[in-house]
Amino acid sequence: MANELLNVQGLETRFKTPEGLIHAVNGVSFHLKEGETLGVVGESGCGKSVSMLSVLKLVPMPPGEIVAGTAEFKGKDLLKMTNEEIRQVRGGQIAMVFQDPMTSLNPVMTIGKQLEEPLMLHLGLTKAQVRSRSIELLEQVGIPRAAERLKDYPHQYSGGMRQRVMIAMALSCNPQILIADEPTTALDVTIQAQIVELVIKLREQLGMAIVWITHDLGVVASIAHRVAVMYGGFIIEEANVKDLYKSPSHPYTIGLLGSLPQIQAQTRQRLYSIDGMPPVLYKKPQACPFAPRCKWVLERCWHENPRLEPVGEGHRVACWADTKSGSER
Amino acid sequence: MTNYIIRRLLLVPVILFGVSVIIMGMLQLLGPIERSALYVKDFPKNDRQVDGIIKKYALDRPFHEQYWRWLTGVKDPVTGHREGGVLYGDFGYSRSASQPVIDIIRTRFPNTVELALWTVVPMLSIGIWLGIKAAVYQNTWVDQLARMFSIVGTSFPTFVFGLLVLILFYAKLGWFMPGKMSDWANQVVRSPQFVNYTKLLTIDSLLNGRFDIFWDALRHMILPILTLSYINWATYVRVMRSSMLETLRMDYVTTARAKGLTEGVVINQHARPNAMLPIVTMAGMSVVGLLGGVIITETVFNYPGIGKATADAAANLDVVTTIGMAIFSGFILIISNLIVDVMYAVIDPRVRLS
Repeated sequence: MANELLNVQGLETRFKTPEGLIHAVNGVSFHLKEGETLGVVGESGCGKSVSMLSVLKLVPMPPGEIVAGTAEFKGKDLLKMTNEEIRQVRGGQIAMVFQDPMTSLNPVMTIGKQLEEPLMLHLGLTKAQVRSRSIELLEQVGIPRAAERLKDYPHQYSGGMRQRVMIAMALSCNPQILIADEPTTALDVTIQAQIVELVIKLREQLGMAIVWITHDLGVVASIAHRVAVMYGGFIIEEANVKDLYKSPSHPYTIGLLGSLPQIQAQTRQRLYSIDGMPPVLYKKPQACPFAPRCKWVLERCWHENPRLEPVGEGHRVACWADTKSGSER
Repeated sequence: MTNYIIRRLLLVPVILFGVSVIIMGMLQLLGPIERSALYVKDFPKNDRQVDGIIKKYALDRPFHEQYWRWLTGVKDPVTGHREGGVLYGDFGYSRSASQPVIDIIRTRFPNTVELALWTVVPMLSIGIWLGIKAAVYQNTWVDQLARMFSIVGTSFPTFVFGLLVLILFYAKLGWFMPGKMSDWANQVVRSPQFVNYTKLLTIDSLLNGRFDIFWDALRHMILPILTLSYINWATYVRVMRSSMLETLRMDYVTTARAKGLTEGVVINQHARPNAMLPIVTMAGMSVVGLLGGVIITETVFNYPGIGKATADAAANLDVVTTIGMAIFSGFILIISNLIVDVMYAVIDPRVRLS
């Protein structure tokens, strides 16, 4: 595809821990087109953050290790790049925003200094240009009295403001891809909505592609074009956002959507929940990792791990069972 | 920032008051006659002289009166001459050194300061550097070596390590020697041509253009510097290593890497200042310890500092000198703590601005 920006194939990442090897990501493949927003959904520990960190080789190594896969960014494999080469990409062409704005800014460095760094590094601006660009950036993300606030330290900003600073920092060099790793999870609901709105506005202005990692299906519905659902280190379903919400095909996706509270619900009833716990992956799963929690589980699910197969236009599912009929596909 | 320093400075007299009350309180464990020794230069000739001193300094009076006289001394109604009085710098007369305690401090303290200053440089720089290396190369041979080095340092008692380096570098090799300076250097220093600008021999010798004396002074100091550094390195390496490891796991370090910064910038500009916070407290305490006199090291190397003077006084049961030194150390402690707090505020904006 001509306008394909990022193409990740068969990515596998493991962690060495004192308890044993954890297979966090077990062969993740996805692609991202220019200007597109991909939502990556899944519960804690399903490998969604690790996959994205792996793409930029930001997984701490050791204990982490990227054992297989390719991540082609504009035709070049990020995973084969030298440290020097990938540094040019990080912050410049692919930028990241992290989950907790309270800890992702350096507490002993002024906001101004932290904003300056990528500008100096990737754009090679002069001191004066850097300053005016920093002010412009802070204003762009809606921080009042931007010029004064450059001198402030992170602890003088509120949580929502810090996340705005993080977004400003990430977008400072006009990256082609923004990877947002649960950027709203640590914020309260009204601030969450503001941040989502801000990112949508900036996406319209700047046209960057976004990978939005979250476990909040509501947020994904409002921002993403396409959604990938992850479980046990695999992508188990991938579809356009409308298709996914209209006809979820993987039992896990169905379970996730089913456990959302319904605002139109007439009667008081307990929220649906998926029984059991997500697996801790000491071994690379040879069978479907969701089988122990699945309502549609078939004999085959215990022996063979299904691959992502197309079930519709741009809609792919990794499941042996047809959830509509209950029988094998 | 200025407010912060002023607030802290206002606390200094309060703390000094507390320290002096405790030390004076400890003195109350002695009887009035024993305490009268604080105020005499020689052994008293007869009981009447002792009674006179007890009366003069109110040694048989309640604590607060004694304390006040101890602070301000007693003015002779006839001559107007003031005797005693810690506030006026009179800590009493040292029997063991045959001079006023304040004179011991005046002549010995510069030596201790000099040793402390020279020790701080290698102690901090190498300790911090090794700790960072150990953390960055965690679980590699660099880390193992640094940890082994620091465990050996922690396990050595000061005097054992001191004696070992003396045997090696003084007795066997003859490179470095104990004491303060050679006799020939001492003669030069005492001559009127040699100007004592700072009373710190290494600095004064340079200011006088006498590099031979500078080298001589350094050769005498290297062994105590090595001993003090090595004993302390161990702790610095361990604390810096664990603090750095913790910092490297922080989100803002990942943020810094995600910006595309080089590993050097990430470690030196983003991680290190944060990881240094516990070191500042420790460094302050080390400096306090060094300035207060390192008794064992100064004794082993026969180095004429405050520590050696305190040890000599204590060995001679010279209560007056020992107490004088204790109060002086307390004073140094408070001042150094203040400096540490100010440094903390310089490094950590969260302290500075709250």
